[in-house]
Amino acid sequence: MVYKKILVTSTGEYLDQIAKETMELIADWDTDVIGVYVVETSTPFLTPKKVKEMMVTELTQRGKQVLDAMEEKFRAPNIHFSRILKEGDPADEIVKIAEKNDVDLLVMGTGKSIVDKHLLGSVSEKVVHSAPCTILLIRTVSE
Amino acid sequence: MLWIIALVAILIVSLIIVIKAADIFVDKIVEIGGIMGISEIILGVTASAIGTSLPEFGSAVMAALFNSPDLGVGVVIGSNIWNIAGILGISAIFAGTIRSSPKGLTRDGAFTLLTAFILLGFMYFLGVVDIYASIIFVIVYSIYLWILIRDQKKEAENDVKKEEIKVKPTEQISYHPPEEKKKIGFGMIAWSLVGLVGLIVGCRLLVYSGTELATIANIPQMIMGLFTLAIGTSIPELVVTFNSARKGLHDLSIGTVLGSNTFNIMIGLGIPAIFMSVPIEHLSYTFDAPVMIFVTVLVLLLIKRGMKLTRVDGFILALTYITYAVLRIYVLG
Repeated sequence: MVYKKILVTSTGEYLDQIAKETMELIADWDTDVIGVYVVETSTPFLTPKKVKEMMVTELTQRGKQVLDAMEEKFRAPNIHFSRILKEGDPADEIVKIAEKNDVDLLVMGTGKSIVDKHLLGSVSEKVVHSAPCTILLIRTVSE
Repeated sequence: MLWIIALVAILIVSLIIVIKAADIFVDKIVEIGGIMGISEIILGVTASAIGTSLPEFGSAVMAALFNSPDLGVGVVIGSNIWNIAGILGISAIFAGTIRSSPKGLTRDGAFTLLTAFILLGFMYFLGVVDIYASIIFVIVYSIYLWILIRDQKKEAENDVKKEEIKVKPTEQISYHPPEEKKKIGFGMIAWSLVGLVGLIVGCRLLVYSGTELATIANIPQMIMGLFTLAIGTSIPELVVTFNSARKGLHDLSIGTVLGSNTFNIMIGLGIPAIFMSVPIEHLSYTFDAPVMIFVTVLVLLLIKRGMKLTRVDGFILALTYITYAVLRIYVLG
């Protein structure tokens, strides 16, 4: 199966592993890769407004760095890389971007351990249930 | 019975009023300060340093003004113990890991510890926090704030240099149009006054309900301050610390707690001491303040091992808090 348009998303953690496995999949085929970073803007009630703004600024800064790193990893003659930085709920935004750009494959890491998934929830689990395309979930749990 | 329920309701509502009012007040003051030409860095650092701690500060001032100084001391020391052992403990348990940068830890950790020792010194040798202590507290806090602003300026300069070296186009980035130059409007002043009045009224109601409940339940005001009000007024620290740890904003997570603890002592106790000398209970300097120093040292040592707090460290901190609470409430009373 050849994927023409692939959406790759990462928070920066395990980016090496996600990029390596995606590159193996792409091989020598001409492919469009869309790097996506979503700045999570939700905060609990009673979070001070200024702190909320500070969080968004810091996460946006990090998002740019992650997308820079992603661009480096996908630098190849057969790959056309583009980047999207969005604010919102990560799972919702990833699904929306996949739909809007009509991607063939969505690549992301599994991210968290079982304990973390139960305590914090999981973006990848939410995306799995509503993604409009095939998903490659790369096992990225640290030992 | 009905009166107790009403008091608990007043306590909860006043807490929400205090936290939201502090937020509105800081937000509008920063906006006005920005229009008046005060540097964004100074405003940002000050807002983040005092933003989460205004509820503790307001409660301590109100407690001092309305002759409940024990309650004020309790709120400050109790908040500091809860911030470190409770909030960082809970956040580390849930987030799994909270990392720290060596610089942030050295600067904020050193000041948190220094301020705790200065407070203990005044408590132990004078048995009171008076106007002289107040002057020293405010001077030390001003130095801390100056260092924070200096570091932030350096960081901003470095960021600008990096941006100049490497400019990358980012497609479809959420675009925020540049804001037009604003003027200080009536609404801004009105909202900042609403925030200030809300803070004063909320803190007064908080202190009133706290002292009344303590009297009815026949428990010392100090206990009420150390636990109920301390935990209540630290809700902003809890949401910020936990949420930033969850999002991987580790420096903000640990910095919020350490910065808040420095503010609570230097300003939360320093400013009320301008109005009246705050007498210190024997147990405060023989038990509560030493516990505050102990948990501060403990958290710094736990972080220092691998420049992070792990889930296991979180359990250690949470258990330390539970042990302290049980000893303080049931054994020492």
